[in-house]
Amino acid sequence: MTRLILTIAAAALVFIQPAAPELLFRDIAAQAGITFRHHAAPEKKYIVESMSGGVAMFDYDNDGRPDLYFVDSLTVDTATDPSAARSALYRNLGNDRFEDVTDKSGLGHPGWGMGVCTADVDGDGWEDVYVTALGGSRLYHNNHNGTFTDITASAGVGIPGWSAGCGFADYDHDGRLDLFVSRYVKIDLAHLPEFGKDKTCEYRGIAVQCGPRGLPGESDFLFHNDGNGHFTDVSEKAGVSDPRGYFGLGVAWFDPNGDGWPDLYVANDSTPNFLYLNQKNGTFQESAFPWGVAVSEDGAEQGSMGVAVGDYDHSGRLSLFVTNFSEEYNDLYHNDVDHFTDMSFRSKTAAISLPFVGWGDAFVDYDNDTWPDIFVVNGHVYPQLDRVRMGASAGYRQRRLLYHNRGDGTFDEVAARYGTILTDEHVSRGIAVGDIDDDGRVDIAINDLDGAPQLLHNEIATRGNWLLVALKGSSPNTGAIGAEITVTTPSGKQTSVVQSGTGYISQDDKRQHFGLGTAPEADVSVKWPDGTVTTQSAVKANQVVTIKQSK
Amino acid sequence: MIGAILLTLALQAQAPSAPPARAAVPDRAALLARAGEAVQQGNRAEAKRLLEIAGRDRQSVRALLQLAHLQLEDRETAAAMQTLVKARQLAPNSEDVLSAIAELSLAGRAAVPAILTLESMTRLYPDEARYSYLLGVALMGAGDLPAAIDALRKANTLQPGQRLTLLALGLAYNNQKLFTDAYPTLRKALDLDPDSVETIAALSEAEAGTGDLNAAERDAARAIARAPQNATANLVLGMVRLAQQRYPEARDVLLIAAQADPASPKPEYQLSLVYARLGDQASSDRHRQQYQEKLRAMEASLAALHPATRTPGK
Repeated sequence: MTRLILTIAAAALVFIQPAAPELLFRDIAAQAGITFRHHAAPEKKYIVESMSGGVAMFDYDNDGRPDLYFVDSLTVDTATDPSAARSALYRNLGNDRFEDVTDKSGLGHPGWGMGVCTADVDGDGWEDVYVTALGGSRLYHNNHNGTFTDITASAGVGIPGWSAGCGFADYDHDGRLDLFVSRYVKIDLAHLPEFGKDKTCEYRGIAVQCGPRGLPGESDFLFHNDGNGHFTDVSEKAGVSDPRGYFGLGVAWFDPNGDGWPDLYVANDSTPNFLYLNQKNGTFQESAFPWGVAVSEDGAEQGSMGVAVGDYDHSGRLSLFVTNFSEEYNDLYHNDVDHFTDMSFRSKTAAISLPFVGWGDAFVDYDNDTWPDIFVVNGHVYPQLDRVRMGASAGYRQRRLLYHNRGDGTFDEVAARYGTILTDEHVSRGIAVGDIDDDGRVDIAINDLDGAPQLLHNEIATRGNWLLVALKGSSPNTGAIGAEITVTTPSGKQTSVVQSGTGYISQDDKRQHFGLGTAPEADVSVKWPDGTVTTQSAVKANQVVTIKQSK
Repeated sequence: MIGAILLTLALQAQAPSAPPARAAVPDRAALLARAGEAVQQGNRAEAKRLLEIAGRDRQSVRALLQLAHLQLEDRETAAAMQTLVKARQLAPNSEDVLSAIAELSLAGRAAVPAILTLESMTRLYPDEARYSYLLGVALMGAGDLPAAIDALRKANTLQPGQRLTLLALGLAYNNQKLFTDAYPTLRKALDLDPDSVETIAALSEAEAGTGDLNAAERDAARAIARAPQNATANLVLGMVRLAQQRYPEARDVLLIAAQADPASPKPEYQLSLVYARLGDQASSDRHRQQYQEKLRAMEASLAALHPATRTPGK
């Protein structure tokens, strides 16, 4: 009898206990050996202390495994001591272990670091690193032996002031990778705007850091790669210099109109965003307004931060997802060939984003169901916010957003479905996505403004088949930056583009991940930057496939 | 604690010791009675003179309130406000005086004095829904939507089911793009007043925001059928037509929206998009220019209201 009662009680407990949340991500940063800490002043009294930093996932040593580089920043108090900030390069050892190789690499002290993008700038087959910063950006050449050399001066790509986003692309089809750099606010560290001094330094009636509104903005730069180790500033000639000084942040090179020439999207904080359409003659036409991607659906200038590019509806066209400030919404701009349509509210991605200040973002098919989902990290810029009425805004530390793509043009926000890993609150900035261990599940590295980064290892149990496509382009664009990959399965076509510069001032792994659902194989087509096409049929699922460009 | 102190001070202030009366001037009651008779006889000037004396020499707050009322009826808005300011000097926390100042400020679109007065009133009379409602309306006028929503929610809690409160709250939600909150609020408002064009138009905006373009189209058309020049309904219908790629129709209704609300940048922005889709770049550029000019003008007018609006730094 007693045993029966115990059995019944035990059975009852099974029903009473809530089901454990499904496992999606696990933060393995600490166990993987990542000890990086991003430095930031606790009060963020100046805007320069709120915007860093980016993170890159790239294979610096050509061993086939993506490595990680986290950008660190100084503070006003440590501005004169470059050693106070230590950016960090971690070598992927396999088996989810990383080794800090910063000191050997020479990438530790780029100054007051902001963002990062990577590309093989000289066609030697090794990825080089560009770091944006306050007080001088830097280009580091990869020496093929685990070390880098600062070639900023000889390359002519050093930019004064406050650079933020960056990205390489071959905008003039000469085969060489050119460089675009966005800049943010004009800041003189000797004469910083006083905390809380006027109406642009207030939020909900309390004193906060000033800016960006009320502060002068900075122009942007486009450098043409001359092919001899030197770049030439062509910003004004090309029409992308931003003479009005909008507050430039995230950068995305891609080809929205499908004419085979890379166009450029720039997310500007508190000012209209830019869409520069390539005129195929070395110049660009700024077209964000007529294309419907300058401002919100109702014409509000939003505080834009990060930019993600993806084919979320299997249309074969690359759409845009832009993160914005709180009480604004994240924009999902659907690509309609000759313009974009703001689908944010209709896609169900906008409303839930209103309380959050969004930064790093990416299209990721986290469950390999063939439909790219969207991942966003958040975090406010005002620590003081937690002491006042917040209106519709969330607090200083904020949760993440994971939008699951329903395949019908709409999304469900599902972060809470996976325990607390995505609902725990952080003050995050850059993210880099890629598969760190080639298990077919997309992982995410996150650089937080305050403190430790996270490395979200994807451990989802129920998932579809996959392909990871690595491209080997012809020199000098050995990384095939700008190439578009189309994967076809019975459920449709998916298109992705190889980009330098992604999300919020960061760098995703350039290998492109595709979820295949139940398809055991797929046809893969690559449209290389020079317009040539390579096709491979019936590529078996669940592998890393490397495709080389014909000479 | 601060609230209790303020309330104590307010009660003290409402019971001032009466100054000694001057022998040559009739007492308050007599002056008020004579003023009332003058009004009945159509001699408003005499009534105002008597009430002014009562206010000035007898410190009669009631007289000043009556004087302000007469001045308002005679469209002497500035004089009415001056009278109320005098009344407030005599009785800084008088509910009647503060209420009159707030309502006059709101009527004159003077958001800052209205907000400052109503904030005092909501502290002094925290259970009075009307003041929270008026504060919400004033904050909306000043562009401080989060604070407006707080005030209107409070008003709705204190006195649920008020049509105007629900409409104002729905409008504030729409402005903050909180469409999923706006929708049920406006539905309730519409249940209370099914013929309200403003409510139907606001509902159509909420429906468009929640992605229900069919409902938005239906309700915008319903509002336009009753009020062809309604700015909100025409804007919503224009955005729906734009989404449907029915560009000429979108252009036509957006032009009406722009004419109906000439200060708003929103229809101008939509028109810039529509003309771009129609291939008319010159018109697109022109409306974009107008959109940006109106946006800047709107920002400047909101900035001028600082600090009452607590303008965000971003």
